[in-house]
Amino acid sequence: MADSNLTEYVTLVSNDGFEFKILRSAACLAGAIKNSLDPTYGFKEGSDNRVTLPTINGVTLEKVCEYLYYNQKYAESKDAPDMEIPPELCLELLIAADYLDV
Amino acid sequence: MPIHQGLHGDEVDFENIWGAIASAFREIHTKNASRLSYEELYRFAYRIVLKKKGEDLYLRVRQFEHEWLSNEVRGSIQALFSPNVLASPQSLGGTTTNERRVAGEKFMKGLKQAWGDHQVCMSMLADVLMYMDRVYCQDNRRPSIYTAAMMLFRDDILKTPTSDVEGRLVLDLLTHVILDQIQMERGGDVIDKHLIKSCVYMLEGLHEDDQESEELRLYTASFEVEYLETSRVFYRQEAELLLRESDAGGYCKHARRRIYEEEERCKSTLLEATSAKIQKVVEDELIKNRIHELVEMESGVRFMIDNERLEELNLIYDLNTRVDDKKTELTRAIQKRIVDMGTDANNAAIAASQAPATTADAGEKGKSPAQEKNINMQTVAAIRWVEDVLHLKDKFEKIWRDSFQSDNLLQTALTRSFADFINSPTFPRSSEYISLFIDENMKKGIKGKTEMEIDSVLEKAIVLLRYIQDKDLFERYYKKHLCRRLLMNKSISNEVEKQMISKMKIELGNNFTLKLEAMFKDMTISEELTSGFKHHVDGLGEKDPKRIELTINVLTSMTWPLETMGGTGDEEGKRPKCNFPTAIDKIKRGFEKYYNQKHSGRQLTWLANMGSADIKAVFPRVPSKDGSFKERRHDLNVSTYGMVILLLFNDLPAGQHLTFEEIQAQTNIPHSDLIRNLQSLAVAPKTRILIKEPMTKDVKPSDRFSFNEGFNGKFVKIKVGVVSSGNKVESDRERRETEKKNDDSRAFCIEAAIVRIMKQRKELPHQQLVLETLSQLATQFKPEVNMIKKRIESLIEREYLERIDGASLDSYRYLA
Repeated sequence: MADSNLTEYVTLVSNDGFEFKILRSAACLAGAIKNSLDPTYGFKEGSDNRVTLPTINGVTLEKVCEYLYYNQKYAESKDAPDMEIPPELCLELLIAADYLDV
Repeated sequence: MPIHQGLHGDEVDFENIWGAIASAFREIHTKNASRLSYEELYRFAYRIVLKKKGEDLYLRVRQFEHEWLSNEVRGSIQALFSPNVLASPQSLGGTTTNERRVAGEKFMKGLKQAWGDHQVCMSMLADVLMYMDRVYCQDNRRPSIYTAAMMLFRDDILKTPTSDVEGRLVLDLLTHVILDQIQMERGGDVIDKHLIKSCVYMLEGLHEDDQESEELRLYTASFEVEYLETSRVFYRQEAELLLRESDAGGYCKHARRRIYEEEERCKSTLLEATSAKIQKVVEDELIKNRIHELVEMESGVRFMIDNERLEELNLIYDLNTRVDDKKTELTRAIQKRIVDMGTDANNAAIAASQAPATTADAGEKGKSPAQEKNINMQTVAAIRWVEDVLHLKDKFEKIWRDSFQSDNLLQTALTRSFADFINSPTFPRSSEYISLFIDENMKKGIKGKTEMEIDSVLEKAIVLLRYIQDKDLFERYYKKHLCRRLLMNKSISNEVEKQMISKMKIELGNNFTLKLEAMFKDMTISEELTSGFKHHVDGLGEKDPKRIELTINVLTSMTWPLETMGGTGDEEGKRPKCNFPTAIDKIKRGFEKYYNQKHSGRQLTWLANMGSADIKAVFPRVPSKDGSFKERRHDLNVSTYGMVILLLFNDLPAGQHLTFEEIQAQTNIPHSDLIRNLQSLAVAPKTRILIKEPMTKDVKPSDRFSFNEGFNGKFVKIKVGVVSSGNKVESDRERRETEKKNDDSRAFCIEAAIVRIMKQRKELPHQQLVLETLSQLATQFKPEVNMIKKRIESLIEREYLERIDGASLDSYRYLA
């Protein structure tokens, strides 16, 4: 139903109004985002290509997106460089990861 | 819900949130998801689980699905139960096949739709409830919500009765409808295979129990059992009908088509896993339980063989192979047919040879031309037999190659059957006939044939030889026939003879051909001797214009079956010496002297009954019938005896005569030989060189003979044939002699074998000794056990062996 709507990029929205345009393939590495966008299900997110995440703030979501790209880039390689994570974000990120099923 | 509430906010209002989730689920089930936010639903469920209300949520969802299936879905399925679907094949009352098919398809379509919807919705729900599956279900070992919902479909839809009054379950109805559709297809209808396959996938995806065990899939546990059973009944009935109404070939074709169809059906309509099982059912019902009847049908294997139905034979081979690695039934039928046909050939040969045999035996002394013909007929019968057998062999070889895929087991069976009838105790002449067949080909058959053709003839003979059990008897006949061919120069080609022997050598081993090769060697040495002697005589200087040329064959008496050549073997040893005319006697002595110089201590025995002589004869001028009046010269080729007799008349003044008794007294030729030679010289119309008085066919002692001055032959060269010189079938009397001789020589072979075995083993029980003796002699012949016993007795008498006293089994000990 949403086949024609299958864009290359999708938008992730944080609870403080930041929008992140991110490659669909990277975004779908997160289980919850993937499900929400599944074209066969026809949820609202799928037809809008836009996922609003009211539990995640902009700073955290930025880091999440960075990680999704990072993950996509180094998925195949063995010696990936460490990703820099500021200590103050650690807890927020863990909660977001559990929620998004990354 | 306030949007800015964090995930870990305080208490959750479960009932409220569930209310929102449940109404969203209803939207999903009615395909109205587009207004719903996945994230929101996910977040609700996430929070509930996070607040340790996972169990409540799980149970609520299950309850929700149970109610949904029972209230919404079941009703729509039940709406499809038209009387045409519910009608069982037994009570067809009023419904046509087509009506049933359409109704069945409608029902299956509805079910397929409900199942498909349920699957899609449940995977959406499962994704929304992902966090519950991940955390609650795993921690509490619950089946995932998706699996749980599938079980609900099984219980709330498939395992509910079709109606309140009928106990039948929807699942049974589905099975029944599918089977009904398959039955329609077997009957030639076109059905919706994809639709059925979808239903089959559903049954495969569901399990009988809640543990999801592999072997308890609904398909295997419920449908497949039923399917195999109804198919069994169907094919059992079909087999019965077909056996009654079709011929064997048609039956085979049908059976094979059915097997193929079932295989295809498993691929297109059912599951491939069923393929082997249903094929087993078809094979059991159409083949295994019927193969005996099938093979024995009037149009069965026998008919196929007789009419060269190669394709049908191939079918029946294929079918039999499917159900029986050993192909017992087919093998049995084939063997029986071979033995039957072989026995027919045997009987034909016996019939052809026996009718005249009675007269042949009666007139043993003098053989009239009529009897001669009979003997010839027997020889023809012998060769006919060999050709029949070869024909049979070719026929079955072809069937074996073209229809039985050169199957090893069947080849063994074929070989055994051929050996069976060739060595049948009611037909003792196979060895002799095969040897005669070779003889005939060596003398005439191969004339003008290419090497390839000759080789194939020889190969055929070898093929038959392979079947012969009593190889020693064959060797005896072959030696006898070869002896005649060699001494009388009857062979067309020495090369081919040698080729044959080397073939036999490959087939039967060195021992077998040893003596045959020795015969050839004797022939070669004799040629050298002849030319050596000629050279020697030339060297003596005296050029005698009347000199007689001598060609000599020196034969080793052990190697050559000379007694069979003499015709009257009983007189062996005291064979009367023939009186040779002086001129001959002189050259004979000359050769003896020459031979003794070369090999001292050897004794030469002259076998006058086996030689021949070329004589230049001059017949004086006498008026002949055509008015010519001149001298006539003829080169006469006569037997040695004939030459001796004719030379007597050289010394006789013209017009004089000799009586039979006088001739016998002067030549000392054995009585029967003399009669035969005189018959050919004085009775046979074309070679009447002597005149006999009185002119009768039989020769009596008082008969008088004189030189036929008026003899007039058409050709310059005249061959005076002596009665009975070719290789013929033996008369019964000869045959008994041959067998007796053969038995005698077998006795030696058996004794030798026993001694060899005992020498090695020292002590042996009786039974084992007999077995080992049999196996040692297997390549030569198959001795009777009785004969072995007798030889053991005889060896004990002669103190080669002794019985071991007190042994539990009869045992023997070797005495050095």
